Amino acid sequence: MPEPIITFTDFSFRYKSQTEETLKHIDLTICKGEKILILGPSGCGKSTLGNCINGLIPFSYDGEIKGSCIVAGLETRKANLFKLSSHVGTVQQDSDAQFIGLSVGEDIAFSLENNAVPRNEMLELVDRAAETVDMEGHLKDVPYDLSGGQKQKVALGGVLHNDVQILLFDEPLAALDPQMGMTAVDLIDRIHREQDKTVIIIEHRLEDVLFRHVDRIILINDGTIALDTTPDELLRSDVLKEMGIREPLYISALKNAGADLSLLKDLENAEALDISPVKNLIAEHFHKNEPSLEKLESTGEVLVEVKDVSFDYGGDYSLDDMNFTIREGERISVIGKNGAGKSTMAKLLTGIIRPKKGEITFKGQNILEMSIREIGRLIGYVMQNPNQMIAKNIIKEEVELAPRLNGFSKEETDKNVEEALRMCDLYPMRNWPISVLSYGQKKRVTIASILCLKPDILIVDEPTAGQDYRHYTEIMRFLEDLNRDYGITILFITHDMHLAIEYTDRSIVFSDGNILADDYVYSVLSDKETIKKANLKETSLVTLAEKAGIDPEKFIHAFIEEERRQRTDGK
Amino acid sequence: MENRLFINLKPGTTFLDRLTGKTKVRVFFVLIFLLIATWDIRFIAPLFILSIIGLVSIRPNAKKMTVALIVILLLNLFNLLLMFLVEPDYGLGVVGGSTVIFKITDFYIVTKETMWYFLVRLMKFMATFIFSLTFIQCITPSEMAAGLYSVKIPYKVCTIVSLAFRYIPDITRDFNNIRISLQARGLELDSKRTGIMTRLKQYILILAPLVITSFDRVGMVANAMDLRGFGKLKKRTYYAEHEDTKGDKIMAPIILILLALFLGIVACLIIWPPAFEVWCPWIK
Repeated sequence: MPEPIITFTDFSFRYKSQTEETLKHIDLTICKGEKILILGPSGCGKSTLGNCINGLIPFSYDGEIKGSCIVAGLETRKANLFKLSSHVGTVQQDSDAQFIGLSVGEDIAFSLENNAVPRNEMLELVDRAAETVDMEGHLKDVPYDLSGGQKQKVALGGVLHNDVQILLFDEPLAALDPQMGMTAVDLIDRIHREQDKTVIIIEHRLEDVLFRHVDRIILINDGTIALDTTPDELLRSDVLKEMGIREPLYISALKNAGADLSLLKDLENAEALDISPVKNLIAEHFHKNEPSLEKLESTGEVLVEVKDVSFDYGGDYSLDDMNFTIREGERISVIGKNGAGKSTMAKLLTGIIRPKKGEITFKGQNILEMSIREIGRLIGYVMQNPNQMIAKNIIKEEVELAPRLNGFSKEETDKNVEEALRMCDLYPMRNWPISVLSYGQKKRVTIASILCLKPDILIVDEPTAGQDYRHYTEIMRFLEDLNRDYGITILFITHDMHLAIEYTDRSIVFSDGNILADDYVYSVLSDKETIKKANLKETSLVTLAEKAGIDPEKFIHAFIEEERRQRTDGK
Repeated sequence: MENRLFINLKPGTTFLDRLTGKTKVRVFFVLIFLLIATWDIRFIAPLFILSIIGLVSIRPNAKKMTVALIVILLLNLFNLLLMFLVEPDYGLGVVGGSTVIFKITDFYIVTKETMWYFLVRLMKFMATFIFSLTFIQCITPSEMAAGLYSVKIPYKVCTIVSLAFRYIPDITRDFNNIRISLQARGLELDSKRTGIMTRLKQYILILAPLVITSFDRVGMVANAMDLRGFGKLKKRTYYAEHEDTKGDKIMAPIILILLALFLGIVACLIIWPPAFEVWCPWIK
């Protein structure tokens, strides 16, 4: 009989500032050595559950606890944060903010320093932890030189000391690109196996976590445990879609084909999955939906032409001889790992930085002769974090800001603002304070505040970062409508392959400052060479297509079209 | 990275760089105390020369240093000029005596004593500044935290110092992002095109989102620190504080001597208060 290490018994929690309970009557037992995924949409209470385990509740967040929560033999309510922290190591979502030290070594040592461990012992412990997380060569590196994935590794290294028995990861993948995400999931798995720790991962990116085996998935919805089961059982059920969590793509494809998933074993692992019982079904379904081979070239007017553009940051990093065009009405995904040149390209297009050589034109005009402000009226740039864009308190004032700064007349301002607010479904809320809005609504405010300048092109940086599937869908459908109904050209800068597949037609892939590919999404994502060179993650659709003996490119194409049909029908 | 100000995050390799934070902080404090305690050029002049030797010994970026030194020198000279304009015979009271060099008007009389006082003052202030600059240049923020802790400053205060250095570059980056996004929306920050008042108002526009993003960060940082046991014990150790090197062993008695000198000077000033604050060779 495995020994329980975390036990919730009829546990409820209500934040002091809220009237309703965030967690309701939770009964849950987690045993020593288990690897658990806690899954659920944003706001379901999964992070709150995590904070109850590591002790931030009730010690940092005030509220009312009912029932009992015992972690490593301690009733959390009666213990204290420091006692709990020697049993539970927590890695949080924001890998940058939780990096407290001024070097890798210091950050890993932080908890040792707080425990007044003598320095000579500390050195050895830090070396060992750094080795476990593959950061031993970086002890002297400063945080500003590290990638998000490296910071995440350091954060993990920093909580491995003192025989911590439980490792808690609160949305560890949120800020990572697909490749780093895979490395992180693999590292967590290795530590789980080698060090015999109990691992709890809180995430909504199911497919990414399932890259490595988990023992049990606990699905939280609306503050209660909706399901507590094995990954295979969960994937067979239809509960994910109902709860607004994204199914792994290969599972969606199998379900589209009408495959009976109870016939399949190892469903959680696309690589190991044996599809022979349903192989014919998949092939049949594919041939029924086989897309026409004819490629539809975009025929819109050429808006932007980038010719032989090079840029040099002065270090070992540069962009070389970029060439591409953007046509009216296109939906383009700009993909590549962090630091590959995506943001540099966006900065070049918006005039924030200027190329060393080459030419960028907008409808034939040379934009290199224009100011940032002038370019801003042609090409709008929506930043990733809406909090970094919002300067006013009231929605309408925020949207009015750009036309006012640009010296539009009163009538024109009012007209543009009203139009932008209506396009973004914000008109009825125009007098609301921005502080009460959700993240997705804030995002729409920032988009409205750009649209009121009537730019022809929107560049949207990571529109869905840190969003669960429901909010993700909400934002992306809105952008889809803007594109379809108002003909606005949109460039998505993203490392989310799903986003590229679902919502864009063309992909430009960056790698080490070069454009590696510029083609239809399905062609790019089925090209193994490109995926490998750009350090991207191969989509599970390719794996599935190969198993079924179908050309991956056509298979993805068919899948995209089918999903889009379902989306339009569902509306 | 341009945002790293004057701070070094990685320890250097010169003699001063290699000392422990403990020694660096102590040497710095005792030298500054000495400078504050005395107006006697027989102490100040050697300290001034020492400060220059110290600065040169850490082989700083010559261009940056020259700029900093010139700016501070000009500021000090300006300060002296203002002092002269307001009270041209200030030196007489503190030096004692009155030797006229020449008269500009009946009010503005240049005396040897005032000039002497200005010389001492300039040297004292420049030495203070150069010591501080050397100190900042040869210490990493973590060593500074460890050093302050070693002189019995509560570690929570010390940590604030190193945290500030840790997050300043992040906040600068946020600031730049916000500025850029507002510029793209039409904010004109070009000094040639807008007046100073408008520009000030526009910078306030940037501050609102900056404050909100920074508050978000503060919450997360606080949680991250709590979860790793910050504040658990009354004492703390420092990873950045290495064992004493040979240099530290050499410096330990020197610190004691300097401290004794400081105490001696203060004691003398209390027991035999001098008639005039500033010693001057030709006044007996």
